[in-house]
Amino acid sequence: MPEVKKLSDGIFEVIKDKKHLATKNLDPGKNVYGEKLIPVEGVEYRTWDPRRSKLGAMVLKKFNITLKKDSKVLYLGAASGTTVSHVSDIISEGAVYAVEFAPRSMRDLIGLASRRKNIHPILADAGKPDSYSHLVEPVDIIFQDVAQPNQAEIAARNAIRFLKKDGYLLLSIKARSIDTAANPKEVFKAEMKKLEQAFEPGFEILNAKDLKPYHEDHLGVLAKLK
Amino acid sequence: MKINTWFGILETDRAGEILESSLLSKDIRELALHSLSLRDSRSNFPPEGFDLKTAALKSGFAESPAEYYSLLHEVTLEAAKLQVSGALTPDQRIIQAVEALDDINETTNALSERLFEWYGGYFPESGLGGEDLALFIAKYGSRENVSSEDPLYSKARNSMGAKLEPADEALLKGFAENVCSLYERRRQIEAYIENSMELVAPNLKLVSGPMLGARLISLAGSLEKLAEFPSSTIQVIGASKALFKHLRARAPSPKHGIIYSHPLINTAPWWVRGKVSRAVASKLSLAARIDFYSGEKNPSLTERLEAKVLQIRTLNPRPPQKRQESGAKPKKRRRK
Repeated sequence: MPEVKKLSDGIFEVIKDKKHLATKNLDPGKNVYGEKLIPVEGVEYRTWDPRRSKLGAMVLKKFNITLKKDSKVLYLGAASGTTVSHVSDIISEGAVYAVEFAPRSMRDLIGLASRRKNIHPILADAGKPDSYSHLVEPVDIIFQDVAQPNQAEIAARNAIRFLKKDGYLLLSIKARSIDTAANPKEVFKAEMKKLEQAFEPGFEILNAKDLKPYHEDHLGVLAKLK
Repeated sequence: MKINTWFGILETDRAGEILESSLLSKDIRELALHSLSLRDSRSNFPPEGFDLKTAALKSGFAESPAEYYSLLHEVTLEAAKLQVSGALTPDQRIIQAVEALDDINETTNALSERLFEWYGGYFPESGLGGEDLALFIAKYGSRENVSSEDPLYSKARNSMGAKLEPADEALLKGFAENVCSLYERRRQIEAYIENSMELVAPNLKLVSGPMLGARLISLAGSLEKLAEFPSSTIQVIGASKALFKHLRARAPSPKHGIIYSHPLINTAPWWVRGKVSRAVASKLSLAARIDFYSGEKNPSLTERLEAKVLQIRTLNPRPPQKRQESGAKPKKRRRK
C-alpha cells in the first residue's frame, strides 16, 4: 500500500517505489500529460513532475505555497496546462484564471478546461492586463511563468490590478529569456532589484531560490506587494 | 463611473456602490462575443481591485457564487474556442504545409534509400535511383518483366542480380508504389505552397521565390512576425546556433541564415556574400511588410535588388588581400 504524506493543503508526497510529488485528481481516471495515477484508499493521486513544472519544483524547494482549496489564482503563461492541471487539483473549490497567448497551446488548454470546471481559460497577452480586466476578480495568488524579457514589469502590472492586499506573487525567472549572453546570477540580481524598486508599489521578496536541479538557469521567487 | 464587465455595464458611485446596471442575458455565445469585444476597449476598465463576482451577485446577474463561476467558465471557454478557430490564418496553413513538406522529404529520402539497397540485390545494373527507380519497380516488379521497348531491356536480361521470388516481388512492388505516391504528394504540396504564397505574400514570393518565402514565414511564426522583424534578423533567421555562439563567445557573426538558398546569395563569390545577404534581407523585409500591411504587388523590388547586387559586385570585383600576420597572435580568450 503506497504511503501518503501531506505537504501542504492539497499537495502530497506519495511513496510508491520512490517518492512522488502528487495532487488529488479532480478528474478521476484521466491523466493530462502522461503522468502516473496512484490510487490510495479510494482517492486517486496524480503524480507531479517537478522537471516539467516550475511550481512543482518550487514546492520541493520548500517555498511556502499558500494555495488553499478555495483560493483564486491568476496563472500567467498557462501553456498547455501541465501545471495548471495541478493547480486545479489543489484549489478544487476555487478558480484559476489561465492566461495564455499562443493559440496552439490554448487548444490543449481548452481540452483541459472543458473537463475541469474551475479553470477559466483566457487567450490574451499577459503584458496587457486591461484586455482581460473585465473577466478577472481579485486573486489570492498570481503565478507567473511567461519567459519574457520584461517579465518583472508584467508581474507588476498584473499584481497592481488583480492581487489582493494580502496576496502572493510566485514567479519563475528564466535567465536565458532576459539576456542570452549574460551570467544568470547577474540577471537574477537585476530582476530582483527591479521587482523591489522599479514599480510603485514595489514587491517585498520573501524567498528566492534557484530551481536547480529541476530547471536550469531558473530562479523561483515568492513576493508580496509592499 | 461606468464599468465594463463580461456580464454587462455597471454604473457605480465613488464608493463603488452600484447605482445602475445594464446586464446581458445568460446566453453563452452572446456573452462570449461581448467578452471578446471588450478585449480592445480603451476605457471603462474595472478599477484596480474591483470585485466582479460581488458586483455580479449584487446587480442580480448571478444568484450564487456557484452560478457565477459556472457561467464564467462556459463564457471563457466559448470565447477561447472562438479565438482559436479564428487563429488559423492562411499564413498558418502555409507553415503547416512547409513543415509537412520537410517531413515528407525526410521520409521519402529514407524510403528511397531503402528501396535502392533492397532492389539492388536483384537488379544492380539499373542505374536508377529515387523516383525513377520507384516508378520502374512499381511498373515491372522483377527485371524479367521488362518489356523489349524499354531502354533497360538488355541490361535487365544480362543482369547478375538474383532471381526475384513472387513473395518478395509483391512486397517490393507495394513498397515502390508507396514511395511513388510520396513523390506525388511532394509535388502536390509544393504546388499548394506556390499558390498560397501568391495569394498571401505575392511580393515576398517575387523577391525570395515561393519556397524560401514560405520557410521564412514558417521560421518567423507568421507573416505578421516576419513583417515586424528588422532585416538584420531576417538575414540570420535559421542560423540561431551560430548567432548565439557569436553573442556569447567570440565566434564570427553569421552572414546568412536560411536566406542562403536565395540564388543571388549562393551564386555570389564568397567575399561579397555578407553584403549581398544584407541587401537581399532588406528587400525581403520590405516585401513582407508590403504584403502584410498593404498587399499590393510591387515589381520594382526585384529590379532594385538586382541593381543593388550588381553594384556590390562591381565595387568588389576581387577578393580582399589577406593581411600579413605579424608575429604570434595572443590566443583568443573566451569571454565569460
